[in-house]
Amino acid sequence: MTDEVSPSADTLGLEKIDRDEIDHSNGVVLQAEGLRRDYGSVVAVDGVDLTMEEGEFLTIFGPNGAGKSSLLGMLGGGMRPTAGTVRVRGQALSFSEHDWQHRIGMLSHRGFLYGRLTVEENLRFYGTLFGLRDLDERVPARLARVGLAERARFEVRQLSHGMRQRLSLARALLHDPDVVLLDEPYTGLDPSAAGVLRSVLGELRDGRRTVVMVTHNLREGLAMATRLAVQVSGRFAWEGSNQGLGREEFERHYHDVVEGRV
Amino acid sequence: MSTYLSQVWVIVWKDLVLEMRSRERIAAMGAFAVLAGVLFNFSIDTTTTRPQDVASGLIWMTLIFGGLLGVGRTFHLEAQDGALQGVLMSPAPKDAVFLAKTAANFVLLYVVSLLVLGVFGLFFGLDLGPNLGWVVVVLGLGALGFVALGTLFAAVSTGTNMGETLLPVLVFPLLVPMVIYGVGTTTRLINGRPFDEVEGNVRMLGAFALAAVAAGAVLFRYVVED
Repeated sequence: MTDEVSPSADTLGLEKIDRDEIDHSNGVVLQAEGLRRDYGSVVAVDGVDLTMEEGEFLTIFGPNGAGKSSLLGMLGGGMRPTAGTVRVRGQALSFSEHDWQHRIGMLSHRGFLYGRLTVEENLRFYGTLFGLRDLDERVPARLARVGLAERARFEVRQLSHGMRQRLSLARALLHDPDVVLLDEPYTGLDPSAAGVLRSVLGELRDGRRTVVMVTHNLREGLAMATRLAVQVSGRFAWEGSNQGLGREEFERHYHDVVEGRV
Repeated sequence: MSTYLSQVWVIVWKDLVLEMRSRERIAAMGAFAVLAGVLFNFSIDTTTTRPQDVASGLIWMTLIFGGLLGVGRTFHLEAQDGALQGVLMSPAPKDAVFLAKTAANFVLLYVVSLLVLGVFGLFFGLDLGPNLGWVVVVLGLGALGFVALGTLFAAVSTGTNMGETLLPVLVFPLLVPMVIYGVGTTTRLINGRPFDEVEGNVRMLGAFALAAVAAGAVLFRYVVED
């Protein structure tokens, strides 16, 4: 990213979202209220509110240490908030309930994979945990979609980083979740693997799913998103819709936001 | 099969398959059991001490220390690539995860306990005769109680900076009743005393094992929640 001083959001034509004007009549899928996460005296996420409808794709940008992964962890139910609530289709994420997990799929920067299980065994394992009954058909289809059908019998530790990332994506989407959370999915991928990932993520924009992606990759993040946010010091310092923004325009604006000029 | 049982079974299957492919824990526990048997054999003066009087205590100590080597690494299987988080973010109930991890650990430790019994039987010249079956049952109950507590506290210790070194500090005080009943029962059985004489102790061991499993199943979710 450049350090070039840029004009303000208004002059770039970025449409900043006014929460009071959002029409949620299409049905809210993901809702977070006052999310906060502390690590001792460090506040990683500081009172984030978020409401997303079916079909929306939010990309969250932000500098390292902004609390993006912690936010995603709480949205996915894998991390308990210090304060605040997360609801998926109106149901609060509770550690004592075991239903909402069916609605969420998460691709973390860690793959959640077992290196000594085969590619196919990993998907069958997670499929069984999710109570899926059609694994004989579903697993080969998902492996074919991410280009790993021929590696089904390979142990995961034998795969390249890019292949593991594709397998992780297949794992995250195996149970057809309503909400997909992606944490830095493009990190360390070669152009070929990134292309497969881009193609699969493109299919998530089918109007049925709600996607939240955290990334430093401006090109991919802008290409996918219907909404954008910049997280700084645990808060959404800026939110807006993605209306054909150019990468350079947004990059300048990003720097303004991160450096507090907007 | 119900979804719950499928979830338990698939985690047991996964743990055992991973162990069969890596042999990390079973090799460490097995090697420890054999070496302990050899060393204890040389540490006893059989001209002043009857082997059958001390064998059961040594068997149980070998089982506990050897078991710690394996149980302590229970969640290392999961730590790689964050797989435990993936399991915990699945719809599988936390108690199902605990029961499955405990069952897989039990299988491994029970195999090791039979090895321990064989090694000590060989080196100490134990003649268990008709009580062999009951000794095997008693060791099984002890192994179950131990792995239930060990699995629960392995989850605690894995999340701390002290790691595995914390595990014995947490587990050993809770094992005192099991050791008292287990060693006493095994000693009498090894010495050819009738089962009727130790039946109450065996029931207590069974109750301890079930209580440990139940407590672990209830408490596990509080341990693993972030």
